[in-house]
Amino acid sequence: MDLNINGQSRTSNADPSMLLLWVLRDELNLTGTKFGCGIAACGACTVHVGGQPVRSCVMPVSAVANQQIKTIESLGSAEKPHPLQAAWIAEQVPQCGYCQSGMLMAAAALLDKNANPSDADIDAAMTNLCRCGTYQRVRAAIHRAAVQMKKGGAA
Amino acid sequence: MKRRTWILSALGATGALMVGWGVMPARSRLGSPELMLKTEGDVALNGWIKIAKDGAVVLAMPRSEMGQGIHTALAMLVAEELDMPLNRVRLEQAGADSIYGNVAMLVASLPFHPLDSEGEHKPTKIKMGEWLVGKIARELGINATGGSSSIADLWEPMRMAAATARASLVQAAAAAWKVPANEITVAQGVMQHASGKTAHFGEMAASAAGTTPANITPKASKDWKLIGQATARTDIPAKVTGQATFGLDVRLPGMLFAAVQMCPMIGGSAASMDTKDALALKGVSKVVPLDAWGGGTAGLAVVGQTTWHARQGVKAIKVQWQAPATGALDSQRIQADLLKALNTESGFTFHEQGVPTQAEKAAATRIDALYQAPYLAHATMEPMNCTAQVKDGKVEIWVPTQVPQMARDMAAKVAKVDKDKVTVHVTQLGGGFGRRLEVDFVGQAVQVAMACEGQPVQLSWSREEDMTHDFFRPMHLAKFQASLDDKGEVTSLRIKSAGDAITPRWMARAVPALSGPIDMPDKTASEGLFDLPYGFASQHMSHVATKSSVPVGFWRSVGHSHNAFFSESFIDELAAATKQDPLAFRLNWLKDAPRYAAVLKLAADKAAWGTPLPAGRARGIALHESFGSIVAQVAEVSLADGQIRVHRVVCAIDCGTVVNPATVAQQVESSVIFGLSAALFGKIDIVGGAVQQSNFSNAPIVSLGQAPQVETHIVPSTRHPAGVGEPAVPPLAPAVGNALFALTGKRQRALPLVV
Repeated sequence: MDLNINGQSRTSNADPSMLLLWVLRDELNLTGTKFGCGIAACGACTVHVGGQPVRSCVMPVSAVANQQIKTIESLGSAEKPHPLQAAWIAEQVPQCGYCQSGMLMAAAALLDKNANPSDADIDAAMTNLCRCGTYQRVRAAIHRAAVQMKKGGAA
Repeated sequence: MKRRTWILSALGATGALMVGWGVMPARSRLGSPELMLKTEGDVALNGWIKIAKDGAVVLAMPRSEMGQGIHTALAMLVAEELDMPLNRVRLEQAGADSIYGNVAMLVASLPFHPLDSEGEHKPTKIKMGEWLVGKIARELGINATGGSSSIADLWEPMRMAAATARASLVQAAAAAWKVPANEITVAQGVMQHASGKTAHFGEMAASAAGTTPANITPKASKDWKLIGQATARTDIPAKVTGQATFGLDVRLPGMLFAAVQMCPMIGGSAASMDTKDALALKGVSKVVPLDAWGGGTAGLAVVGQTTWHARQGVKAIKVQWQAPATGALDSQRIQADLLKALNTESGFTFHEQGVPTQAEKAAATRIDALYQAPYLAHATMEPMNCTAQVKDGKVEIWVPTQVPQMARDMAAKVAKVDKDKVTVHVTQLGGGFGRRLEVDFVGQAVQVAMACEGQPVQLSWSREEDMTHDFFRPMHLAKFQASLDDKGEVTSLRIKSAGDAITPRWMARAVPALSGPIDMPDKTASEGLFDLPYGFASQHMSHVATKSSVPVGFWRSVGHSHNAFFSESFIDELAAATKQDPLAFRLNWLKDAPRYAAVLKLAADKAAWGTPLPAGRARGIALHESFGSIVAQVAEVSLADGQIRVHRVVCAIDCGTVVNPATVAQQVESSVIFGLSAALFGKIDIVGGAVQQSNFSNAPIVSLGQAPQVETHIVPSTRHPAGVGEPAVPPLAPAVGNALFALTGKRQRALPLVV
């Protein structure tokens, strides 16, 4: 089947029922997307499929063939960070950092839909779990990125 | 057995080592340059510091980064002494020499009352005990990241290593330039002389090598430029781009993946298994029966071309599991056993002052309460995993661990090779919280790798395996009894607790040669009970160490995590019983503990204690010392549809000298959320030998929408640095419980909290 990941077309021979997370991590070595729970409860595996945040640990790869899949690896880079990544650094969000790829992808999907989210919007959209308890900084960083994106600059 | 007897017997066991030590100062931890990895172009100056050609510094890093910001904080110490930019300090994993061992963590295991060390001069018996245990710890050289001890432990050795390196480099420049060393200044990693000569460290490293300047002292605090400044963490950029390498992110050529299933009944094993269907699956190559390693449970592993294939294989195996010979565990039965132990056994006395029996006899009023806390899982976001390769008589492992030497020893034991045939690569840890002080999964990975003919294999656990096969925080019960005289003054406090001791079990796994009986006195069982700062004239605190076979381990803040809930809730009960404000009551009994009182007042002031709140909200307060740091918290709580909602937590902390205040705030916020998850939801039930909770669906943790706003206020201090990663966990549960009492009038005496 054909997969479009981070703007690149790839052909995969994976079993159609194989879960997207493991195709990304173990076949394509895109290890930025994490395994946390396997039941779509924690969000560490969040990627975008057609612009929507998706928990890849429960998503059969066959269901996302020919769709635009975007992972943390394409959100931005150290040299050219996404405003959210810049805000994440400014607010010093991550601790252990394990859940943060998923957090960032969920936040990016939120800002794509809602350029100026309220606290309540953030509460509703950001259901990802973080064991280090970085939540208040996640919230602050999303607000910071939203402001910067409106200005059209980096955070 | 009295505390003194125990200490003396511990000392006696090491008596032989003491001969000739009495007059010796602490053994240097500077280490020789050979201890560092030989790398092209770099010059090692001691066991910690290497100078690169371009003048950058390579620091030997023995501690694991698990979110606590330690890699940044320790690099700051070195950048400070060398007067160089933080981003020019590179980290290299330290080797296994004993200079990298953790002395402070072991010294902190002594059951001394913290108030005894509050004054300017420590009592001799404490200094002696600390000196002796320090000596033993120095020789043992156990490298462990835990006990909130990294800065406390490495504060002197790392600054000394950097200061010594700096002096060597300056001396070398002075000789080359033929100027006095004291005329050379250092800024931004560049040495300068008024004559116009300049050189970066790399240019002088070769001639500095081998010199050992005398009379080195680290900088005075007035000269610090970096220590004490809020500093951005160096590990964060890689953590926002998905580039940080956690254990599960290790990728090696030809690597296989393994999934595991352990016997659902703790301590049990497979009576038989049918692997036919699993082995018929495409992408599944092997089934390996697993032994019980490092205190874990036996089971099986399936090897496949990806983790997904391996897990499909696990699901396809039909296993007949059997309970251990000792029978299936049951947490309700254990709770009944603990209660019986509390009522029938006297336990080990950790603290006694005044004459409690007399005060009790003379009491006009007695207040009794029973407190309880359940088993708890760690639930690190990154489940347990280890990657291993066994080839040509050598073992290589890549592992997120808090104890690299224990991991090495386990690998050597499983592969039956000498320890020096094992190479350990410590990755970033996706959370630790004490779970990664265990190496059960390392044993599994090496056992599987041995069956994989030289191919590397990444063994990882599902969330379900991770939650059901943890080393749990032990279940704990405590009975409180206070006596009040006819004026309503508290005259005595008696506390007896019961639960499994962690340290002797862990020692048996970590340092079998030093292990003793599992019910030996363990400070972690009574910490947070025997060491209270309140000046009640008569006190008696004891603990009954029980003997269940549930695997128990260190859980962020360990005994303090539940004992602070017990003691600070009961203190609140005493305030209520004597009709005093909870803050005023505590301050009244803290007259001989001014540092504690100051922290409590700071939190109360910042939280505007005593001022009105919106209807339906109440405040609760708690104060607790752990890991050398004193923390007070005020929680603002309300109830909505029967759910507990914590809106705001104001926290004051005195953690001694602060290296990176930004990290302190991060850790306080983290600790509050960690403590809140336990207070609201945390419990592990064991029925028929099997843990009932299995994933975040039935063992929830606090989510963003449930998270309070946390404020951190740091008390300025010039004392020796104390712990930061854990001390803000313990006061959270009692602060919330006490707020609930203020709100509802119902006292919370069990965790998790239920309204």
